Amino acid sequence: MSARSRGTELDLSWISKIQVNHPAVLRRAEQIQARRTVKKEWQAAWLLKAVTFIDLTTLSGDDTSSNIQRLCYKAKYPIREDLLKALNMHDKGITTAAVCVYPARVCDAVQALKAAGCSIPVASVATGFPAGQTHLKTRLEEIRLAVEDGATEIDVVINRSLVLTGQWEGSDFIKTSTGKETVNATFPVAIVMLRAIRDFFWKTGNKIGFKPAGGIRSAKDSLAWLSLVKEELGDEWLKPELFRIGASTLLSDIERQIYHHVTGRYAAYHDLPMS
Amino acid sequence: MAATRAAPHAREIFTSLEYGPVPESPTCALAWLDTQDRCLGHYVNGKWLKPEHRNSVPCQNPITGENLASCLQGQAEDVAAAVEAARTAFKSWSAQPGVVRGQHLTRLAKVIQKHQRLLWTLESLVTGRVVREVRDGDVQLAQQLLHYHAIQASTQEEALAGWEPMGVIGLILPPTFSFLEMMWRICPALAVGCTVVALVPPASPTPLLLAQLAGELGSFPGILNVISGPASLGPILASQPAIQKVAFCGALEEGRVLRRSLAGECVELGLALGMESLLLLTDTADVDSAVEGVVDAAWSDRGPGGLRLLIQESVWDEFMRRLQERMQRLRSGPGLDGAVDMGTRGAAACDLAQRFVHEAQSQGAQVFQAGDVPPKRPFYPPTLVSNLPPASPCAQAEVPWPVVVASPFRTAKEALAMANGTPRGGSASVWSERLGQALELGYGLRMGTVWINAHGLRDPSVPTGGCKESGCSWHGGPDGLYEYLRPSGTPTRVSCLSKNMNYDTFGLAVPPTLPAGPEIGPSPAPPYGLFVGGRFQAPGARSSRPIQDASGNLHGYVAEGGAKDIRGAVEAAHQAAPGWAGQSPGARAGLLWALAAALERRKSTLASRLERQGVELKAAEAEVELSARRLRAWGAQAQAQGHTLQVSGLRGPVLRLREPLGVLAVVCPDEWPLLAFVSLLAPALACGNTVVMVPSAACPLLALEVCQDMATLFPAGLANVVTGDQDHLTRCLALHQDVQALWYFGSAQVLFVLFCHLQHLTLPTGSSFSGNSPAL
Repeated sequence: MSARSRGTELDLSWISKIQVNHPAVLRRAEQIQARRTVKKEWQAAWLLKAVTFIDLTTLSGDDTSSNIQRLCYKAKYPIREDLLKALNMHDKGITTAAVCVYPARVCDAVQALKAAGCSIPVASVATGFPAGQTHLKTRLEEIRLAVEDGATEIDVVINRSLVLTGQWEGSDFIKTSTGKETVNATFPVAIVMLRAIRDFFWKTGNKIGFKPAGGIRSAKDSLAWLSLVKEELGDEWLKPELFRIGASTLLSDIERQIYHHVTGRYAAYHDLPMS
Repeated sequence: MAATRAAPHAREIFTSLEYGPVPESPTCALAWLDTQDRCLGHYVNGKWLKPEHRNSVPCQNPITGENLASCLQGQAEDVAAAVEAARTAFKSWSAQPGVVRGQHLTRLAKVIQKHQRLLWTLESLVTGRVVREVRDGDVQLAQQLLHYHAIQASTQEEALAGWEPMGVIGLILPPTFSFLEMMWRICPALAVGCTVVALVPPASPTPLLLAQLAGELGSFPGILNVISGPASLGPILASQPAIQKVAFCGALEEGRVLRRSLAGECVELGLALGMESLLLLTDTADVDSAVEGVVDAAWSDRGPGGLRLLIQESVWDEFMRRLQERMQRLRSGPGLDGAVDMGTRGAAACDLAQRFVHEAQSQGAQVFQAGDVPPKRPFYPPTLVSNLPPASPCAQAEVPWPVVVASPFRTAKEALAMANGTPRGGSASVWSERLGQALELGYGLRMGTVWINAHGLRDPSVPTGGCKESGCSWHGGPDGLYEYLRPSGTPTRVSCLSKNMNYDTFGLAVPPTLPAGPEIGPSPAPPYGLFVGGRFQAPGARSSRPIQDASGNLHGYVAEGGAKDIRGAVEAAHQAAPGWAGQSPGARAGLLWALAAALERRKSTLASRLERQGVELKAAEAEVELSARRLRAWGAQAQAQGHTLQVSGLRGPVLRLREPLGVLAVVCPDEWPLLAFVSLLAPALACGNTVVMVPSAACPLLALEVCQDMATLFPAGLANVVTGDQDHLTRCLALHQDVQALWYFGSAQVLFVLFCHLQHLTLPTGSSFSGNSPAL
């Protein structure tokens, strides 16, 4: 994660001055997907880059140590070794950016990653995820416990009842949503958030990270997210410290596309290892 | 199993995260050119026309200079053949039920859909515009246009009853426009039953491909004919007797030349001129979205020309920072690359931009250029010019593609003054999140089309057009259809025989007038003088002209007006214009009704005046009654102003406003001295214009009688009446550049003269009584 945001005095006039024209943002969202595409080597390289931004996530009620272990192994080896070799990328140490689990599964994840011999951070959703409607005391306690278990990154659900009444909170990273809402990461919302990140950087010099989560399933989607960040914020935000994609099934589609790029053939589902 | 198609530099890209080329293959466009043996002719009557012994012009790839094909240059006889084909086709095409025409247009849309890849690769290959804009924008809109007009055609009999198609339409396209400009014109023309001959510049194959697609539908081959040839063929096309209207879009100067060369042809002319657009940014705008608006307008191959940018001073720094930041992310490159924002417009556009920028720099402006642009001709980087001194020549000139000229403003009032302070009136956008402010600015802009918080949106059902020098023709929606319709029963175009008339001396001097014997007019005598600014004034020349009655006796003298009087009258009309335009429709109607009542009170005097002119008493009384009725009818019309609110697919409503033109000049005919005067006065006033009228030459006394009532009823300057030598006054009016329109009812010869003098106007001169009031 990035160095902690140094923070700044809360100045609500910044918020009240912001103007967002909805139709104009919708048009921009449409354009960004149409105006920037990458093909061939560029596509393969961008997809591998996208892998390094993924917070490989499982947030199911039936998560157990066995599927957490599988997830962690996949995080360490996201793309089949022979495919990476073919692209001459096998020595780049490509892993996902983190694994993301419920607080109760942090222990399992830390152990599995240690067993796999890698230092991928474990992120934990906490504070009454996904609604955040629990007492402050238990929410803080939840964070403390997750950190004790070895989580190094915490996805905090802010108290939206406070936000809706104009009482904002600060953060190092902002996320489009929990991924558990009916509407999650959409381009128009992301555009507004990215512009806010840029404004904040221009005003204070602090770089805030950005994490879209929920509904990003295809390799093509991930490329659009990369170019969105590249266009709105620039290359300096395209690193795991400042950009993450919260996803669970995206990785396998990226692997399929890489397979196709390398071999010229489309893989059957059983050709690639499951996560 | 792996590793045969390994990428050589995925490693580097992984680190740099740069964009790569996304080439679109031009194979299918080249294959189509091969079907013509790389030699393109004309497409006439459903067949390729490749006459022998013609010069040819190479069609080149604008980026590489590679020869793609050679294009035959048309000659007069090719034009004649195309017009003949269109004339023949018109007979059957216009006789078809609207439903049949609609079905035919739908079939054309489907054919375009089936061959869209060919269309977009060909267009992008030969023009250098980015393929994304052609593919996702133009080609889709072309199909929507056909579908929309197919529906209009199928309801034509009911919706447009009382109107008939004009006939054969000549369409002249200059080189800088995309094939979509052709679609905006041919779709409504074909829908209402007209047929088209398009003159396209040499080396533009896309219109030929479209004509081929239309021709290969089988039935009605001659409805769309395309001739490629030099601009000098324009007047030849327009002078073909079968051509009823010429539609032109392009640069202002080209339009003027065309208009001059068409003088005396009596052909209707629809102009859409100039390419510059305007963006007005207030301090309450969504600034980031407005930055995208600038990109849409100037740097995305959507808008045809450059952009003037007015920024409120308080957000100047913030906006410029964001805009410059955004410019650095723009990418320019070959049109057939799927991931660039901007292509090229060829060497000529590149030179034009370069000249403009150099000149601006030498006049003290700051120039900022950025973006990922190939460093060679014909590519030109996105350019932002600021600090251009307002009085420098560059600040007055039209901004070329891809240049944006930014200037600051302080208040909304100043913004409007700056925006309206150019002869151009094409399109503009206003960026503000405050509804009231946005609407106020929108109303205040003298522009044909204004977008609010968006730029350059087009939809087939929404009419767009320009005003002032930018031309008066409309495209899309019902207004676009009326461009190619005329009231049923209008006589077809008559040829004028005025080629050898000397317009330099026409109406230059007034023949002297002398006392012509005793006045035996009625008593009380009608007031003497020119009715200007609400009162009767002595003419500048201090001389008078005699008016005779039907039996040749001297009826009386009227003042002899001249250039100075016209100047005064126009000035008075301008002073009254803002107040009158701001009046409620009800107030306007009330005033016209009051004048009607006054006419009725004065009925016996008016009737006896008419009798002196040889009109029978019954007829004279009828004329007075009819005049009063006209006034009342137009008063009622003032209430129904034709403003409409339309919901379109543009993520917002469309407000269509009918605005007064300003000051109209009207030269009345000799016939019906009272009725004609009133019938011309009433619509002009009802629509919110002020007028300068030259009454009937033979009998101006009736108009002067009406002036007595206007003097007591109307605000000063609303209607001004100048008597005198009609030719001379017409010349004076035509040479006054602050007259927004001139209606002339007289000989075709004089119309020719007007065409020559009316260089500043792009408005049509009216030549018939009936139909849509040209005041709107």
